[in-house]
Amino acid sequence: MTVTVRLPGTLRDSVGGVTKIEATGATLDEVFADIDRRHPGFRSRILDDQGGIRSYVNVYVGDADARGSGGLTTAVPDGSEVMVIPAMAGG
Amino acid sequence: MTERLALSMELRDEILAHAQADAPKEACGLIAGTGSDARRVIRCANAHPAPVTRYAIDPREQLRAFRDMDAKGEELVAIYHSHPITQPYPSPTDRAEAHYPDAFYVLVSLRDTHPEIRAYRVRDGWVSEVDLA
Repeated sequence: MTVTVRLPGTLRDSVGGVTKIEATGATLDEVFADIDRRHPGFRSRILDDQGGIRSYVNVYVGDADARGSGGLTTAVPDGSEVMVIPAMAGG
Repeated sequence: MTERLALSMELRDEILAHAQADAPKEACGLIAGTGSDARRVIRCANAHPAPVTRYAIDPREQLRAFRDMDAKGEELVAIYHSHPITQPYPSPTDRAEAHYPDAFYVLVSLRDTHPEIRAYRVRDGWVSEVDLA
């Protein structure tokens, strides 16, 4: 499965400065692992110590919020777009 | 050389109107355009549970806005929010939660009779003010 992962915001630093990257995998976990193989440290920017998606990051597969659809086990259909969007927040 | 964000008076008025309409809560939204040129304001809902002192743009609205900007050939130029009773300067929370080093951060303060609007870059917790043109 090949998908496009889009990384607006600060996360692009972790993949060499691009905002869009191709990756392979059948689940989100596999997709993130694939990117991490090429860009070590990527996974730890998105996942916390317990392996969950960090609270400041929102991940969408197509229009589905990964938190509500299985987290890292969310299936990633071939050709789909994964958006990893850091929060826009403050005080 | 100081950076410059081109934000028209019409767009500034639109942001200000949003800030005033949502007070005493913080108002927030996005500014779409290209490079340093703001083209339009995208009002968003403040989804933070403590909206008087904090803001968080609804993630679904972020997703929709990014798709919409893509479709129109635009980029995210800036993220704006209001400080209803404090200065137009990024707070410690603003600095800690700034995850968009390529976007400008626009702040509106309603502290005084005359509202103030200012723009900044916030990168790695560092703040630098940007000229508004």
